[in-house]
Amino acid sequence: MESLQFTQGIVNAILLSGTLTLVAIGFSIVWGILNIINLAHGAFLMVGAYITYWLFTLYGVDPFLSLPISMAIMFLVGYAVQRYLINLVIRAPLLVTFLLTFAMEIVIINLATFFWKGDLRSVTPDYAGLGFTLGNVQIPYVRLAAFIISLILTGLLHVFMTYTKTGNAIRATGMDIDAARLQGVRIPQTYALTYALGTALAAGAGTLISISFPIDPTMGGAYTLRAFVICVLGGLGSIPGVMLGALLFSFIEVFSGIWFPSLKDAIALLVLVLVLIVRPSGIAGKAFYH
Amino acid sequence: MSDKEKKKAPIRYSPLDGLFKGRQGVLLGLFALFALFLAIFPLLPFASGFWLNTLTLILLLAAMAIGWNFIGGYTGYAAFGNVAFFGIGAYGTGLSMIRLGLGFFPSLMIGAVAAMVFAILIGLPILRLKGHYFAIATVAIATAMGEIADSWTSFTGGAAGITLPFFSPIEWSGQFFYYMAFLLAMGGLLLTWFILNRKMGYSWVAIREDEDAANMMGINTTWAKVMAFALSALMAGLAGGIYAYWKTFVLAEEVFKIEYTLQMILAAVLGGTGTIFGPFIGAFIYYILITLLVFFLPVGQLHATILGVIIILVMVFTPKGLMDFLSGKKKLSVNALLENIRTYRV
Repeated sequence: MESLQFTQGIVNAILLSGTLTLVAIGFSIVWGILNIINLAHGAFLMVGAYITYWLFTLYGVDPFLSLPISMAIMFLVGYAVQRYLINLVIRAPLLVTFLLTFAMEIVIINLATFFWKGDLRSVTPDYAGLGFTLGNVQIPYVRLAAFIISLILTGLLHVFMTYTKTGNAIRATGMDIDAARLQGVRIPQTYALTYALGTALAAGAGTLISISFPIDPTMGGAYTLRAFVICVLGGLGSIPGVMLGALLFSFIEVFSGIWFPSLKDAIALLVLVLVLIVRPSGIAGKAFYH
Repeated sequence: MSDKEKKKAPIRYSPLDGLFKGRQGVLLGLFALFALFLAIFPLLPFASGFWLNTLTLILLLAAMAIGWNFIGGYTGYAAFGNVAFFGIGAYGTGLSMIRLGLGFFPSLMIGAVAAMVFAILIGLPILRLKGHYFAIATVAIATAMGEIADSWTSFTGGAAGITLPFFSPIEWSGQFFYYMAFLLAMGGLLLTWFILNRKMGYSWVAIREDEDAANMMGINTTWAKVMAFALSALMAGLAGGIYAYWKTFVLAEEVFKIEYTLQMILAAVLGGTGTIFGPFIGAFIYYILITLLVFFLPVGQLHATILGVIIILVMVFTPKGLMDFLSGKKKLSVNALLENIRTYRV
């Protein structure tokens, strides 16, 4: 029984790491390129989850098909937010952007609670409960699919950042804003695009999360904190680092959930503080997007 | 800068120089009048329970904002978890009263000292972190503390909370807590003024401006930062203890609410971080704004949205606070409000 729980825990952790990679990668780009901690990240994730929920409940759209829709909507929202709000104060001291995104999170969550009420909701397509067993280990289809989609999106992001002109412009802006400007990169638009990518990825993660877990308006805060821990664990600014961080964090979360259920979040947070103190540059070191 | 301008600039040795002259002197006089008004307020005929209650809340918030100003304003470390000290102060006071059977004042001291010791213990490692990392580490610690207090049922009473005895004689309860909050806020102002005239105050500002340079100049930056953190914990811890006895109830969800951190930061930022009176005035401005907005937009559940929108507007237009306008350094105009955007946009 013990060993079954253990193997099931390992599989759960690996499946979880896919989604968490997606959650953290958008956060990581925004942090790495714009140098802001986007505390509204989890709120955008929550809105993405609700878009999927409403499309499914009102129009019967399959949750996996709503992925591009929620990502596209939140891409536009993110672009506008960065272009017309955050860009206004982006070079101000850290406290300003920190409080600004914090306030955005409060507003989004409060409005969501006001309009959609605070109760837990779930997206339940016909195949929600189905899965297969491998040996003794259960693997639900939706979580496997979420894992695979997360990896595909992460791969696409890598390709975009490495092989397209726009992606290179984003990376250049993160490396040296003045040099990028001299090369003809339009900084405000590039910043907005980066933020939009971050929110779109958050919304995508929200969609995938809404299929496996119940959602409510306050779900986002925990994911923002997780994203931060993962970025710290993996080191800021590299996609493999984020994946490694997400994998590590998933193991910590799943197994502390098995062994100390009531202190799950506290343990994750204490791990964060410990890592920050012992090795502030993260496990994978500080590289830039490549 | 030309030679002429250099000669003109007055050399300021202490924050008090020039404080009694010109407009600043008038402002100080006005503040003294306001403090006097607050001191005799409960004796006035129209001082009903509602006003006493509201002013007590404002003064407690002012005290915490003054405390936050030490670490966030003067030292420049964006501490986002000061509610942890509020919570520890509340639990320390409450548990001492219930479990040890001590009176209120010894219990309050225990709660405040517990908050300070905790601040020193976590401050030593996490004050080595910079910028975002420090900010999130403080959020993480505050959240973890709340969760621990909530689940450690045998010690803290868990989700049932702990109930404290009522203040007696009960008919003086409102006045008692009002004066506790008033003394705490005034004590905080005095403490700020006292420290600013000492080496410690200069060390804080030096760390904010350039920590490496401060280190090079022989300032013990670790000691100065930990002191700033511990003193901000002292203010929040005392406020927490007073709040606990006032409400006669301590619950983890209530005393570790992240909104409290946000309120104290917002009060400090609204008034002006790194100024003596800024956080105090900011606490009043904050409450007036919130009350007016709730009054004119009677949608109770959108309270948090209003708070958020205020924060966004403050961050975009006046992140340096209103002190510059109040003290006459700057004139309030559209231009002055847009200056921040002109400086910091891309």
